[in-house]
Amino acid sequence: MEASDLSRTYRLGASSVPAVKGITLSIARGEFVALQGPSGSGKTTLLNLLGLLDRPDSGTVRVEGRDGKSLSENARSDLRRDRFGFVFQTFNLIPVLSAEENVAYPMVIARVPAAERRDRARRLLESVGLGEKLGVRPDLLSGGQRQRVAIARSLANRPAVVFADEPTANLDSHTAEEILDLMRTINESQGVAFLFATHDPRVVARARRVVLLHDGTIESDVRAEPS
Amino acid sequence: MSAFSLACRNLVRQKRRTFLMGAVVAFGFAAVALAGGFIAQSFEGLREGTIRTVGQLQVVDRRAVKGTEDKTLEYGLRDASRARAIASRDPAVSAVLPRIEFVGLAAGGAKSVPYLGIGVDPEPEAAATFARELVVAGSYLPGGGGDGVILGTGLASALQVKTGDSITLMATTPEGSLNAVDAIVQGLVDVQIKELNDRYLACGIGLASRLLQSPETVSKLVVFLKPGADEQKAAERLGRALNAAGYPVAIRLWRELAVFYGQVRLLYIGIFGFVGAVLVVIVILSAAIVMTMAVAERTREIGTLRALGTRPAGILKLFLAEGAALAAAGCVAGLILALLIRAILNATGIILPPPPGATHGMPIHVQFFPLAYAAGFLAMIATMAIASYFPARRASRLSIVEALAHV
Repeated sequence: MEASDLSRTYRLGASSVPAVKGITLSIARGEFVALQGPSGSGKTTLLNLLGLLDRPDSGTVRVEGRDGKSLSENARSDLRRDRFGFVFQTFNLIPVLSAEENVAYPMVIARVPAAERRDRARRLLESVGLGEKLGVRPDLLSGGQRQRVAIARSLANRPAVVFADEPTANLDSHTAEEILDLMRTINESQGVAFLFATHDPRVVARARRVVLLHDGTIESDVRAEPS
Repeated sequence: MSAFSLACRNLVRQKRRTFLMGAVVAFGFAAVALAGGFIAQSFEGLREGTIRTVGQLQVVDRRAVKGTEDKTLEYGLRDASRARAIASRDPAVSAVLPRIEFVGLAAGGAKSVPYLGIGVDPEPEAAATFARELVVAGSYLPGGGGDGVILGTGLASALQVKTGDSITLMATTPEGSLNAVDAIVQGLVDVQIKELNDRYLACGIGLASRLLQSPETVSKLVVFLKPGADEQKAAERLGRALNAAGYPVAIRLWRELAVFYGQVRLLYIGIFGFVGAVLVVIVILSAAIVMTMAVAERTREIGTLRALGTRPAGILKLFLAEGAALAAAGCVAGLILALLIRAILNATGIILPPPPGATHGMPIHVQFFPLAYAAGFLAMIATMAIASYFPARRASRLSIVEALAHV
């Protein structure tokens, strides 16, 4: 994934707030990257632009060679569905669906056959330690369990990249550690790239690459030495 | 996990809102189904009543179509028995009733009162029309009619006569001379239209012919058809047969003659259409508010679905499915409600005000008209589709980032 000279400005009333200013960045397959920076530095905006949830005012995002700007809304939807996974700070599970159905949802819209998606959803939930909670609705799960369901959902269509916006912000310290370890394990075992927008030093400590943002620009882009 | 299944689960999740909206749809459905059924029943009753009064077809002299008579029977049908026999031979015809229409003065005791007279063949007339049912005192005319007359209660009251009393009928013959015959009041009828009740007089065709001194001449032949017969085709056949036999006649369909029927029908359609439109607007507004609330409450969920790769059309489908599911559930509840209200109304025996032109009200009886229920179902589905479409479209067009940030 390559972002080139990305800029995004938000309008707040009469004033304009530049959130991302001319950022160029590339994410390779299997990376584990933390976008770090203070509030307002542009982490979430950059994540949204890279995840094709938002369109830049200028610059381009290329995903596996395809220019996001030239794609229709449907094509962008399909690309998100097939190549991306998303994990949100507030979990964002569908309240009327069970854990298994939440994980299966991306496969439903990708028209994966019912038997296959049921099988895959169960295996994913088992892999995040929720094999016993298949039929449970989100409101009966703890925060950590919900985030595990969200992680399983993000992997449903075997994405190339998972975008995680403050995934540990609503979790207690112990659960946050578990969730991060889980993501790291998935990253290492399945080769799925993870891109975090985070304040959390625990995330930064686990990241193999840390991109520090300040006022919408990249202040530093540091790769950790292989341990 | 289809859009419909997801929609149904969301409806179950929002129980109170679903119940309220379902109730609006149910009442809307019941109102359309019951009112539609009642109106259809009224039309059917009015049609039936009109046909039993004027017949399905009338055979008249061609001149009678364009002008009015200056003298009684000026445009009468001569050699009426032969014409009646020819008309009766048509396979679609069930009865042919000769009628003589005339005016004159009736005298009973010290008073003379103008009347509108009708000479009929009593037996077939009573079989095909309401004539016998309208009798409120005495009896209807016997077989040939004899010297008996039937008076409207208003006319009898004006003449101060009762059944069994003798009266004298006076009328001008087609030749212009004045003639009079004596008659006996056989019975009294209430024709349910006050102005007509004050002038109504019926007698046998024999007595009318004697009074008018015009045997074998009638004003018209009133034709009744067998059930399911094609009126237009029967009219064409009768016209051909009678013209070929030397009768210069025109055949008129009951719709042309029953101006009143057409006016009442238009009035009812106007009233029902207006009330129906108000009802539909209320349901649309209520549903639109509910669906807008649903979209607002689930903005973040919409953002999530979009982020996961649901296309805008998928979001649109999801909310339209909610509207459709709500409409279907509301219609089922409305069906039960309508049947319940119908049973209660029919059991109460409430007397409705008289319809236009009538003097007596009728007990309410709401029949089951499947077409009205189908119309109610279609109206509610269409209404909910319209009401859901715009909030659903708005949901499908939300910015993903703004939707995800929605609190």
